[in-house]
Amino acid sequence: MSESLEHSFVEQLETNQNIVHKVCRLYTNNQDAHNDLFQEITIQLWKAYPKFRGDSKFSTWMYRVALNTAITLYRKKKRRINTQEFDSIEFKIKAEEYDDTEEQQLKLLYRAVKELNDIEKALVFLYLEDKNYREISETMGISEVNARVKMNRIKTKLKTILNP
Amino acid sequence: MDELELLKKDWKKEGNAYPKLSYNDIYKMILKRSSSIVKWIFIISLLEFVFWLILSFVLKDTKSMDRYNQYDADYVIIPLTILGYIILAYFFFMFFRNYRNITVTDSAKKLMESILKTRQTVKQYVAFNLLYLIAAVVVVLCVEFKQDQQLINLAQTAAASGETFKFYTIFTLTVIAFLVVVILILLFFYWLVYGILLRRLNKNYSELKKLDL
Repeated sequence: MSESLEHSFVEQLETNQNIVHKVCRLYTNNQDAHNDLFQEITIQLWKAYPKFRGDSKFSTWMYRVALNTAITLYRKKKRRINTQEFDSIEFKIKAEEYDDTEEQQLKLLYRAVKELNDIEKALVFLYLEDKNYREISETMGISEVNARVKMNRIKTKLKTILNP
Repeated sequence: MDELELLKKDWKKEGNAYPKLSYNDIYKMILKRSSSIVKWIFIISLLEFVFWLILSFVLKDTKSMDRYNQYDADYVIIPLTILGYIILAYFFFMFFRNYRNITVTDSAKKLMESILKTRQTVKQYVAFNLLYLIAAVVVVLCVEFKQDQQLINLAQTAAASGETFKFYTIFTLTVIAFLVVVILILLFFYWLVYGILLRRLNKNYSELKKLDL
């Protein structure tokens, strides 16, 4: 592939890298895994880039590739050290000294989102990124109505996780 | 406030400390190789095609096949071999066509379907090979019973002592046991390889399908 293509790709990804970092944050639990997934998403984006026609925004196009890689293509590597330890710290806080400050609630919310399954995480991610239900349904390949229904169920599920 | 709205507010804060990768960091990444499951499925599938192809060549060169070639069995062997290659070519073509249809920019569900469809082709090919193996064993045995003097003598001895039924029963059971063992070993291998590789994909796909019920 030509140098100018490489250049424009790397430049655009550098500008929009936060999208990939956010996906990695949702789907991984430690820095090593985060880097691994980031690497794989970058490769998939680069492989698909020649077909990117620019009829949608680069960032919009990135959502699909990044999520598809995280949900489907990425092969988790078997080296998970201290993954659970990090999570259990927040569990302890929840059980022992729960207070209703916003910061505390946010921590618990992030923990709760991590407990969702891959598909639910994808829906939450798109929702947090302000995508409307049409875009969510197109990205996931489900109907708009079902995306909406599922999103409501996730909200309830999060409430249950937070207030068992 | 809705829990997710609270989360959204925080999610959008620029203050969230994500690592900031430089142009060079990203450039280095695009030079690396993918380790996606699609790549693994592709490699393993190719190995499967190669495995069955090598197996057919190896079987052709064994001593018992040399003996077999002396029989007048070309009328069965040649059509069977040609049919085998035609079907191999068909599955190989279908596999590549499906593989090329895997597009990372499709919707999540469509992408999963394309990957599973590619797998389906290889699965069908393997199923075909197992049936082919069974059919070949049956054909070979039929020819042997007609033309192999050693086997004919054995059958005649059994008949003379009134043990025809016992002879054929033991013979059939031995062949079936052999086939069952071979098939079980192969199935175990598939269960191991694809179980590990596709467990997550299958789980996510059924989750998505459940949503659209």
